Amino acid sequence: MSNLPATDYKYGFSKPENYVFKSKKGLDVGVVEEISSMKGEPVWMRDLRIKALGIFEKKKMPSWGADLSSINFDDIYYYIKPTDNQKSDWRDLPKEIKDTYDAIGIPEAERNLLAGVTAQYESEAVYHSFQKKWEDMGVIFCDMDTALRKYPDIVRSYFGRSIPAADNKFAALNSAVWSGGSFIYVPPGVKVDIPLQAYFRINAANMGQFERTLIIVDEGAYVHYVEGCLPAGEQVSLGDKWVNIESVKPKDFVITENGEAGKVKAVMTRNYKGKLVKISPISTYNSFRLTTEHPVLVVKRGDVLKKRKPRGGWLLETDTKLLENAVPGYVPAGKLEVGDFLVFPKIKASAITSLSEKELRLLGWYLAEGSTYVHKKLKMPIVSFSLASYEKRRLDEVENLIREITGKNVYRIADKNKRGVSLVVYSQKLRDLCLMHCGKGARTKILSQEIMSLEWDVAKPLVDAYFEGDGSVYEKGRLMIRASTASEHLARQIQELLARGGYYACINVRKGSADKILGRSIVRGDQYVLYYAPNKKWSEVRTTRDYYLVPIKKIELLDYDGPVFNLDVDAPNSYLVRGFAVHNCTAPVYSTDSLHAAVVEIFVKKGARCRYTTIQNWSNNVYNLVTKRAFVEEDGVMEWVDGNLGSKITMKYPSCYLVGRGARGEILSLALAGSGQHQDAGGKLMFLAPDTSGEIISKSVSVGTGRTSYRGLVKIIKNAERVKCNVRCDALVIDEQSRSDTYPTMEVAEDNVQIGHEASVSRIGEEQLFYLMSRGLSEVEATSLIVNGFIEPIVKELPLEYAVELNRLINMSMEGAVG
Amino acid sequence: MNLQIKNLKVKAQEKEILKGVDLVVGAGQVHVVMGPNGSGKSTLANVIAGNPMYTIVDGRLTIDGKNINKLTPDKRAKLGIFLGFQNPIEIPGVSVFNVIRKATSNKQSFSSNKQKAIRNKKTNGQLPVASGSVSAFRQDLLEYAASLKLSPDHISRSFNEGFSGGEKKRNEILQMLALSPKLVILDEIDSGLDVDGLKLVAQAIKKFSTLNPKSSIILITHYARILKYIKADFVHVMADGKIVKSGKQKLASEIEEKGYQFLSV
Repeated sequence: MSNLPATDYKYGFSKPENYVFKSKKGLDVGVVEEISSMKGEPVWMRDLRIKALGIFEKKKMPSWGADLSSINFDDIYYYIKPTDNQKSDWRDLPKEIKDTYDAIGIPEAERNLLAGVTAQYESEAVYHSFQKKWEDMGVIFCDMDTALRKYPDIVRSYFGRSIPAADNKFAALNSAVWSGGSFIYVPPGVKVDIPLQAYFRINAANMGQFERTLIIVDEGAYVHYVEGCLPAGEQVSLGDKWVNIESVKPKDFVITENGEAGKVKAVMTRNYKGKLVKISPISTYNSFRLTTEHPVLVVKRGDVLKKRKPRGGWLLETDTKLLENAVPGYVPAGKLEVGDFLVFPKIKASAITSLSEKELRLLGWYLAEGSTYVHKKLKMPIVSFSLASYEKRRLDEVENLIREITGKNVYRIADKNKRGVSLVVYSQKLRDLCLMHCGKGARTKILSQEIMSLEWDVAKPLVDAYFEGDGSVYEKGRLMIRASTASEHLARQIQELLARGGYYACINVRKGSADKILGRSIVRGDQYVLYYAPNKKWSEVRTTRDYYLVPIKKIELLDYDGPVFNLDVDAPNSYLVRGFAVHNCTAPVYSTDSLHAAVVEIFVKKGARCRYTTIQNWSNNVYNLVTKRAFVEEDGVMEWVDGNLGSKITMKYPSCYLVGRGARGEILSLALAGSGQHQDAGGKLMFLAPDTSGEIISKSVSVGTGRTSYRGLVKIIKNAERVKCNVRCDALVIDEQSRSDTYPTMEVAEDNVQIGHEASVSRIGEEQLFYLMSRGLSEVEATSLIVNGFIEPIVKELPLEYAVELNRLINMSMEGAVG
Repeated sequence: MNLQIKNLKVKAQEKEILKGVDLVVGAGQVHVVMGPNGSGKSTLANVIAGNPMYTIVDGRLTIDGKNINKLTPDKRAKLGIFLGFQNPIEIPGVSVFNVIRKATSNKQSFSSNKQKAIRNKKTNGQLPVASGSVSAFRQDLLEYAASLKLSPDHISRSFNEGFSGGEKKRNEILQMLALSPKLVILDEIDSGLDVDGLKLVAQAIKKFSTLNPKSSIILITHYARILKYIKADFVHVMADGKIVKSGKQKLASEIEEKGYQFLSV
């Protein structure tokens, strides 16, 4: 791989995605012109960009804040145009949301309101009707590139008016290379009652790193805009489920080589052009692709051979003793050979269950043969099991199980042609149980976390029943058990449960086609065929106490050009790809090319109100340097709610320029700095007219070696009489090494004003911890609860789904830091 | 729950506070521990609950035969030990509801294994009733609060922040009712309560005993006045880090009349 640039990221799991255009690394007039012409921009924007580039080159790096010395501007791709265009999306509220209303203590009345909103979120059609409604009211909500095309005059008259390129080095950079972001215009008097939201992916190699947002709220109008960089609607890896690597976030837990959960410290992504190695073990479904240098945990076949000559075209025979006692080691993927043994760890399980053996068995039958729905006319919850009419013994068993568990009558309903029988029961309890633990739909059935945490002995009734229902026994030299399912997740999960019991099951994919079941013609989707040998003597897979050794059947080299991903996982520095252990990258974790330099400009006209909410959780190698400013006219109100959790360094001080009499600005700033992070955040209030008022509330938490700084500026000019201003900054410091500083600046040129300033720094007391622990909370839970209480004044201002996510993120940070 | 304390010696910051305490509390019994200020009563309560401020120098603490000397406070809580604090702390921004919910959810996950067997027997393999539903839990909590004459918005308030002394004490009892522990230690629950407050708390304790007949209670108190409302099985008097006298309820009234002096050895 000598053609790779030395700085390029070496190891990674790949994601097949094609980019339409990618600028070269580094920045010059050529790059800026290219970006502008790729986007087909008007001349004035191109000139603005080029001028901004000149300013950027002249401006010095800010030296007063966090340490930015390791940013290398020549090592950055400034523009990548993906095939997949920008998406702004409503995020479905999580299911647990109703519980959460209680948990975060939202008053009853407000809860009912939110419940209404939830229902609206859940329907895409409703979302569209909102969009239609906004359009009818004259609201414009689109991405910035579109705005520039469709509304060039508005954009031109506001772009850079509150934050000119010359404002600071990063504003200049953004002006030169900006791409994406949101544009919002709300016409006079229009109140947009539902928050407008846009999500930016965490994926650092993706677009949106230099996004530009422009919001104009015309006289008397109102809007709430939410900017999130949490991934929308994606699953989280908790060890019970498998997710795409690109959706894994720092602080998630993934399973490592020893079968236990390890915390992800960072998710890294780079563009890679070259060969990828595709490795296929005996189970073709479990094949995976890696860059050639990515270390994979294996036992090399050459190390465990018998001292005997090879026969015919066979692979050299291995010595079982040697193999089972061999210590696996990491070998670059490019050096692997067919016949080498991959390590497939058995995932550790422990938990206890509230499910009885009979319930587990019935759930197994449900996985295989069950379905649940609500009867349309009767409005009755139904669970139904379909079996063949000749399966007498099974019919009896399932019927008995249902009866014992629900205590209700079971109806046997025969198929028209008498080949099939459905066992039907009207039971909400059973429906809930099935949905909770197994999901529904042939392709989407998925086992619950509770079941996936069970030991083999406990989970066995479920797996057995599943194979009895969906499976078949056949002999192919040896006794084999086979089952097929349309749910990819379920296949993986059953494979894992079996692995705990000492059975290595293979999964092969059968492509969808027309098929027949019980005489009926159907079209099958892809089927995942699981098969395993119950007598554990599969000749090719060896088992040891903690893992399986699975031989490689095929190795292919593929050409690739696109982004690759890697995870940086806490000790033991490895994670599983398709069930097999691979090592973290060994390249430096913190590269310089993850830079997020956004600009947000807001204009709040007379009597208008705007709220802008941000929760950023960038991965921990991102420099997050954002300029946000609002101009507020007479009697207008601007509210910034700004939450900073992720990134390596954040420097962000949302500001309000109160230019009209009676204008008000509020800034709520929240910062959480874990180890290696520095959150330099705060706010600026500029009182430039009489009777203006404003407030800054800052809450910061530092954990481990994390550092938070509050940096604030309050400026009151001469003749800005009767200004009222209040600043409050509280810091919570969790560990001995954690650090918190306060840098408040006040420039007051007028005497007739009221100013308040309060600051506090606190630690979590032993007594608080003992009290909560004496209630049964672990130290981590107790700490999390106290931290969540500390930031509650800001969290309660967040949209609910963000509040929930924030809670989860904080609990995870505490888990890593405490105890 | 059976608690056995044998020759317990405890120090805090190099100072010996308990100098060999022996105490046996049987399941369902109510014990009262009295004594003058500084005799070690509160220390005893804190040590049973596992406060890390105190170091056990010698002796054994056993619960149903299991040595708990080395268990952290959360593990003891999960065994069913509950301490009602003399001076409960504040947790700003966290509601009463949230603290108790967190506490009960922990308890459930722990006991589900043991209860599973029982429940399966009882219900003949029927589905367990969906326990732990949030609204049901809220309803329970509101009822407990009402029985303690705490307003319905009490559970939404920031934990102990701005509570009156009486509200803080009743808030401790509220947690006891919600957690139904197997060993309750109430550290001067009666101090800072007026007569009405004392009656309310005493009634709640009595009701708790009736509902949880196997749960044991240790009342730590300076005064005997709570004994007007609660019948104790045993009364112990502590002085200078030891239990110097044990008896029945009558002992308490003697102290009430004559003060601690009459015991001075």
